[in-house]
Amino acid sequence: MEWLVKRAEELAEKHGIEYYEVRLVRVTSTRLSMSNGQLRELSSDSELGIGARAFNGAWGFSSANDRERFEKAIETAMKIAKLSRGSARIYTGNPVKDEVELKVKKPFTEVDVEEKLSLVKEIDGLLAGDGIVSRNAYYGDSIVETLYFNSLGSEIRTVVPRVRFGFSVTAKESGEMQNFWKSFGGTLGWELIEKTDLNFWTAHVREKALELLRAGSPPSGEMDVVADPELTGVFIHEALGHAVEADSVKNGDSILAGRLGERIAVDGLNVVDDPTLPGKFGSYPYDDEGIKAKRVEIIRDGVLVSYLNDRETAEYFGLEPNGHARAESYAHQPLVRMGNTYVEPGDWSFEEILEEVKNGLYMLGDKGGQVDTANGTFTFGAKIGYIVENGEIREPVRDVALSGKILNVLKNIRAIGKDTRVEFPGYCGKGQWVPVDDGGPHILTRALVGGLK
Amino acid sequence: MIEAVEKLAEMLEHENVEWEIFYQFGRSGSFKIERETLERSQRKFYSGIGLRVGLNGRLGFSYITGLHPREENLERLVKRALKLAKISEVPFRGFPVRRRVPQVEGIYDREIDEIPFEEAHSLALQYAELMREKKGKETLSGSLSFAVGTSGVVNSNGIELEERSTYMGVSAYAVISEPPGTGSYRQSFTSLQPVEELERAVEGAVDEARLSASAEKLEPYSGELVLETEAVASVMDVFMSNLYGDEVYHGRSRFSKPGEAIGNFTLVDDSTLPALPGSYSFDGEGTPGQRTVLVEDGVVRNFLLDHTYASFLDMESTGNALRTFRSVPYIGTSNVVIEPGGESLEDYEGVIVRKVFGEHTANPVSGDFSLTVELGYVVKNGELKPFKDNMLVGNVFELLRKMEVGKDTRRVLSFLSPRILIEGRLV
Repeated sequence: MEWLVKRAEELAEKHGIEYYEVRLVRVTSTRLSMSNGQLRELSSDSELGIGARAFNGAWGFSSANDRERFEKAIETAMKIAKLSRGSARIYTGNPVKDEVELKVKKPFTEVDVEEKLSLVKEIDGLLAGDGIVSRNAYYGDSIVETLYFNSLGSEIRTVVPRVRFGFSVTAKESGEMQNFWKSFGGTLGWELIEKTDLNFWTAHVREKALELLRAGSPPSGEMDVVADPELTGVFIHEALGHAVEADSVKNGDSILAGRLGERIAVDGLNVVDDPTLPGKFGSYPYDDEGIKAKRVEIIRDGVLVSYLNDRETAEYFGLEPNGHARAESYAHQPLVRMGNTYVEPGDWSFEEILEEVKNGLYMLGDKGGQVDTANGTFTFGAKIGYIVENGEIREPVRDVALSGKILNVLKNIRAIGKDTRVEFPGYCGKGQWVPVDDGGPHILTRALVGGLK
Repeated sequence: MIEAVEKLAEMLEHENVEWEIFYQFGRSGSFKIERETLERSQRKFYSGIGLRVGLNGRLGFSYITGLHPREENLERLVKRALKLAKISEVPFRGFPVRRRVPQVEGIYDREIDEIPFEEAHSLALQYAELMREKKGKETLSGSLSFAVGTSGVVNSNGIELEERSTYMGVSAYAVISEPPGTGSYRQSFTSLQPVEELERAVEGAVDEARLSASAEKLEPYSGELVLETEAVASVMDVFMSNLYGDEVYHGRSRFSKPGEAIGNFTLVDDSTLPALPGSYSFDGEGTPGQRTVLVEDGVVRNFLLDHTYASFLDMESTGNALRTFRSVPYIGTSNVVIEPGGESLEDYEGVIVRKVFGEHTANPVSGDFSLTVELGYVVKNGELKPFKDNMLVGNVFELLRKMEVGKDTRRVLSFLSPRILIEGRLV
């Protein structure tokens, strides 16, 4: 592809373009899914595409997946940029030449598709049981090979393997139905599958689905909530993460605009986004603008200390670029996104946290969330909950969603556990989907619970 | 027919298999305005061919990108699909047979197809200018997008179909920072819209942001309330997966067969409505588009089906196989319509909820939901008092059982419904 690098240079000269960047991406992926013992999908494909951007005070972008159009995509991006003539500025910095492959112990490319098929079959078999009316298992892996180059002379080759698998069941009893599920994933190889205790987790998923059948609806209103590490993860992703994405801040779309250096949370709260954590699902070596991924302290001891940024917003806010521009694919323009977002451990044990609760809820698991960053309102769901009375865990509750105001909830945190875990892989949507991970310790806060009682 | 597709069909004729080729090509132009300034413009091209083969009751699938593959790439595509059919164990239930496909009107607009990029770009500049004119203390952003795409299906049962369609999308977003308020507008079309549509978008977002900025949380409320079309769409989203044929077949729906009485309304999926972005003449397997009555006067009559799940459930495909060349068909909706009822709800006085969010956290099989209210208002003597940040909680099956449908239909993207009156609870 050296010819394309050269050709881009010539085209930039021809069109008078100062800054451009090109991503050539090959994605090779395998996907399998099975429902109730019946295979629904088995695919194994590879594709190559190009995404090109040119900057002229505003961005021009073009993408293509037909090789015959690769050169044209670069030229189209440049022509659009010429047409645009905006007044924005971007961080450029020094050129980077690098090659990085995220190493794994056992590459899934060396595992036959037959073995992957046996995995979903094995899981399907383990999920079967009394009261279970539907079983699902899926497996997916991908290798993303990227050649990034830009007009500064950067040339970066990265290879990122990513694997994810999981399962769910539906339980049914006298007209009631409930689901439960669990996912695993990382920038890892087949070793992730080998180290996962499938017997334990399939039994867990089955038991929780059955337990939910007997769970009542939670109470409603504002109350004390103890979040488990998984729920803390989605909470910090929704309640804080999106509001510190610098593009939202710049567009006036974040309640945290203009608050750098301000105390927005309780003392002792530390929140980090770190795409360099080894093996996590949201990890990556360079972002999609050719900037090295960096660990970012978002909140240090309750004070907002940084935004996640890209080339444009780093320049705009005068911040150190921290490599958080990510694109769903070669056919998407990078946006400011999270990687692995988590709350650092505090010094409370889980038992001590529970003792703090007179009347409240212990809520577990991530059922997704959403945030309105401008209003500062977020909502998220938990997979299951338990009533807590005088520090004791009582009966289970189902289908709970919580809502809160970002600034209130961060200040209402009363206890931060010491048991941080970052192992809850998922996809985050912001017009584009990117793989992320999040987590934290058990925490105690207050939120509005939307129960039916 | 496209040369590569023709060549591929020829190769497949020599194999002893059933086969289906699905291809797509198209381009799009889109423009993103941030803080009333055009910041990002893009033009994308895509094309590709997906191949399904059926062999000894098993299905294989693979795809390639581009429409100008070398011969050996086509050969490799066939080989890969056949190999997967041999090991895959995905059951193969045949492909649809040739039927008459009536053409849906108004889904292609030459003006969008032929608009020069420069002209679309200057329309986006005009949109940004309009935002600068109409803004008060709001910060405005938004987007404009145009697309034209062609998709085709050719299979070993003699189906040979191709359709071109066009799309225009408009969105606007307004933010007020102190006190915080947001407003948004989103709509989609199949033909080029006049500038008035852009004005409507900006005004819609600005009006809503002003209401939102003056909104406060309402005291907990329980009783009769009205949902506007956007909120109805969110609530129906919690319910819809119960009508997907694959969910029914795999036991993840409340229903196992048609016939259950669930309320007093009529719900339709209709891909034949003229000039709507959810419409198509045939689906991703070549089954003609149709009007499917899913719920009729409160009774479940049908499910959303593709060829495969129709065959599993011993029913007929409803033409709901959605598709890209990268995937096998999956079941989805076209245009979802709640048919108008008899209630006059336009001048309703009382609690009205315009927008809610968080529906993907709800549980479709139990039906329980708790959604955050983005904007609502209490109307009393024609006066409007906005509220937000409450949660609307309830159970979708109970809600459907008691809901009354208004008279005047509104469309939001591919969802069409009047306002509805429900028994609801705000916490």
